[in-house]
Amino acid sequence: MNIKIAVIQFPAANCDLDAIHVLNNVINVQADLVWHNHFKESNYDAVVLPGGFSFGDYLRAGIIAAHSPAIDEARIMLKDGRPVIGICNGFQILTEAQFLPGALLRNESLKFSCKWVNLKVENNKTACTNKMNVGDVLAFPIAHGEGRYYTDNLKELEDNNQIVFRYSTESGDLTEEANPNGSLENIAGISNLDQNCIGLMPHPERASEEILSPKGTVHGKLFFESIIDFIKRRVS
Amino acid sequence: MTKVIINGEEVDIELTKWEFNKIKDILNREPNLTETQMVSVMYSEHCSYKSSRPKLKIFEDAEKNYDYVLAGPGQDAGVIDIGDGYVLAFRIESHNHPSAIEPYHGAATGIGGIIRDILCMGARPIALLDPLRFGSLKDNPHSQWLFKYVVKGIADYGNCTGIPTIGGEVEFDDSFETNCLVNVACIGLGTIEDFEHAPSRAYNPGDYVILMGGSTGRDGIHGVTFASRTLTEMSEEDRPAVQIGDPFTKKMIIEATLDAVKTGYVRGLKDLGGGGLTCATSELTGDGNTGAEIQLRKVFTREPGMTSYEIMLSESQERMAFIVKPDGLEKVLDIFRKYEMAHAVIGRTDDSKVLKVFDNGNLVVNMPSKALAESPTFKREEKKPSYLDNLLSQKTPKYSLSLEEIIYNLIASENICSKEWVYRQYDHEVGVRSVVKCGDGDSGVLRIIGTDKFIAASVGVNSKHCFLDPYEGAKGGLVEVCGNVIANGAKPMAMVNCCNFGNPEIPESFWYFSKAVDGMNDFCRSLKIPIVGGNVSFYNEDEVTKTAIKATPMIMIVGIIEGEKNIITLPFKDVGNDIFLIGETKAELGGSEYHSVLHNIEGGVPPTVDEEKIKAIWEFLFELYNRNLVKANHDVNKGGVVITIAEMCFRNKLGANLDFNNCYGEKLRDDEFLFSETVGRFVIEASPKDLDLILDLATQFKIDLKKIGMLISKPEITISGIKSKQFKLDLVKMKRLYDSTIPNLMDI
Repeated sequence: MNIKIAVIQFPAANCDLDAIHVLNNVINVQADLVWHNHFKESNYDAVVLPGGFSFGDYLRAGIIAAHSPAIDEARIMLKDGRPVIGICNGFQILTEAQFLPGALLRNESLKFSCKWVNLKVENNKTACTNKMNVGDVLAFPIAHGEGRYYTDNLKELEDNNQIVFRYSTESGDLTEEANPNGSLENIAGISNLDQNCIGLMPHPERASEEILSPKGTVHGKLFFESIIDFIKRRVS
Repeated sequence: MTKVIINGEEVDIELTKWEFNKIKDILNREPNLTETQMVSVMYSEHCSYKSSRPKLKIFEDAEKNYDYVLAGPGQDAGVIDIGDGYVLAFRIESHNHPSAIEPYHGAATGIGGIIRDILCMGARPIALLDPLRFGSLKDNPHSQWLFKYVVKGIADYGNCTGIPTIGGEVEFDDSFETNCLVNVACIGLGTIEDFEHAPSRAYNPGDYVILMGGSTGRDGIHGVTFASRTLTEMSEEDRPAVQIGDPFTKKMIIEATLDAVKTGYVRGLKDLGGGGLTCATSELTGDGNTGAEIQLRKVFTREPGMTSYEIMLSESQERMAFIVKPDGLEKVLDIFRKYEMAHAVIGRTDDSKVLKVFDNGNLVVNMPSKALAESPTFKREEKKPSYLDNLLSQKTPKYSLSLEEIIYNLIASENICSKEWVYRQYDHEVGVRSVVKCGDGDSGVLRIIGTDKFIAASVGVNSKHCFLDPYEGAKGGLVEVCGNVIANGAKPMAMVNCCNFGNPEIPESFWYFSKAVDGMNDFCRSLKIPIVGGNVSFYNEDEVTKTAIKATPMIMIVGIIEGEKNIITLPFKDVGNDIFLIGETKAELGGSEYHSVLHNIEGGVPPTVDEEKIKAIWEFLFELYNRNLVKANHDVNKGGVVITIAEMCFRNKLGANLDFNNCYGEKLRDDEFLFSETVGRFVIEASPKDLDLILDLATQFKIDLKKIGMLISKPEITISGIKSKQFKLDLVKMKRLYDSTIPNLMDI
């Protein structure tokens, strides 16, 4: 089948071309860069909201983009089970649009932070983790100033198995030191109930090629390959 | 300031009487107020380089002498051809005075300005580098405030625009306490085709002049004249001369501009920076040998009631001027509409060679384009400062601490300790190009996607060395910065510089500039490094304390690595491998960290440069690279050889047994050897099986090379073969000291 993925270009998205590069050249799937006002869901099997500073993150990170027509289109995909993925700023947009619960607050350090972290896979049934195992530890970089995940409904999230990734040590321990931004319970990424919508702060597109990775790992590829796998299984 | 009478009114202008009279001669009449202020801006030191231009003429013509140099000094950025159809555009400039007054917006708009310069060449900005200078942080809230907000300004602006900040350099020295230095560098990647599409000239009569981007407001009026004076107590009142940045709009401008250039309809491109619309229109037409009619009221303004003079002089950020072919007007405007960027057709070029500006039908400016673009120059006096001889003859006092304690003190000092606190705040990975990341190499290394080529870039210079000897200091800066890219495996391709000096009207200050330029010129000619751009920032003095900054001829080098396998990184790799020191160590402690941290003196004999030896070492290193013999490489820099080795041990938690027997003769004391900052040295790691080959090659290339030790798994450095008793350093403790200095001073 001919899979097509849209990467939405919001004004001042800046990881849009990075996501396109990895999908096209590393995962070898057709991915189109689509200007946010031009996006039509019917053409695509999945949508990626990339990282960046959509609309300058003025007012609050992700909130203006959450009112873009692209989000109305994405909502149709959300409802019929197609993958809707938010990376970094995309995650912020998904919480602002209430596709996902909770909010992303200023980092505990009050500073932007760019570094490689370890993530423990908590749920391997989602659209972007089905090629992973629960307990796997992935190396992804983060780059954000507002990535401290918070929710009032932690128990609900845990009961519904909506926590997808947590910040951990290299050996998978969920310590305070391993938490780069003060996120509640080390939460780095979550999903909706149907597990087709996932948001995460770390950047899988920066961790998909050996040459960019400090330890030569390519865990980001697993992330994107899971999406492809999910689409194929969903269609068949 | 000069008082002149215009239209019967007395006005203060920033021109000399002589300059004012010259304008009257050119126009054959009295200039009006708008014209006078426009000339005042264009003749400011910042725009006109009137003090520095005569001296800078000694640099060789890079465009003429190097085939791969496509644009050299005088353009918005230097451009080199790197093969495979790609070009690199790069430039470095200062934003010192605005940052000293308003660190956050000063630094942010510095980034904004340098991005526009790169964009003007039709290239996508792909990397930023920021060398900075502040007063010492310890017990100094003012320096901490400047440092914190300059870094935040760079981070917020760079991160939002999606351009990774891949490198930089920070020095702390009290001469920068009030007049901090914020130099900003940007590298762009483009195709030869796009570069050729968009010259910074309006050479064709009948083209449209379009203004795109941010609206024009009253901010930044006379920013350049503010930058061309020393900071005084009154500078707080100049805060309105600092512009406010909008990185969101900038990101849109980048995308809209690159899309517009791709259409092929853009015939000229210029950013609006210092001097605003005045500078952009006069340089476009002046350099293009055309004229233009500009309709001032087409300019979209942020507030009503702006006078013609305010519109022409505003330095509001985030604006670009496009010269567009008539048949492509709608195509270009459609792109601006897609990005929802404000734009206006403000005029058309013609063949009159005169710049005419109309305000509601009234001709308010009527001047030959070239009159503005070509300012007069001044020959400045130069004189060696009288205090230098005393400083140069200062002797190193006897040390009272143990060598071990001295090294612990050095690694924790502000100028040597880790700068991770800074680079963690910068998104240094966006763009998926960053192969050697901050902290892993002496330079930042980026891949060029779709090729097997890599860019290495580094910035720096040692201000303390330059203070003692600007000629050798500038050369030493080149050795160090070239060394940084070479340590990563790159061949240095071209240099740009940013000269930060004091008041050029003071002969002692101008002497520093003149000697530093001589040093850069001599070194670059002999090592065949083209100088493709420069920026001069004078008047870096504080009139209150009457101190000039330490001379800082900041240098940026861009190099190319052919092939992924040729990338070398800084961290030591494997236990059992040999460690070598390349290059002779001399008793050069003048301006060293050892002198300033342990003895609190600034003088002594600073490092000197022997070009022939440097050349031999570089050729030797590339021979080792060709044979795949080097596992890690780091140039020896501040603090000396042991600090260098400790930095290489940290990442993989290794240690080293060092034996300096035969490394230095009878004449050198232990401290002179261990803490010397002699430039041009490297520490490399290699496999023991290659020992004989490496020693043979060293003899063949006639270079100094000593095996100084071996890598061990225990995190400690043992040092023997010195005149004093052997000793041991705890690397866990060193790492803790290295990492904690800046957080301890800043995160309170």
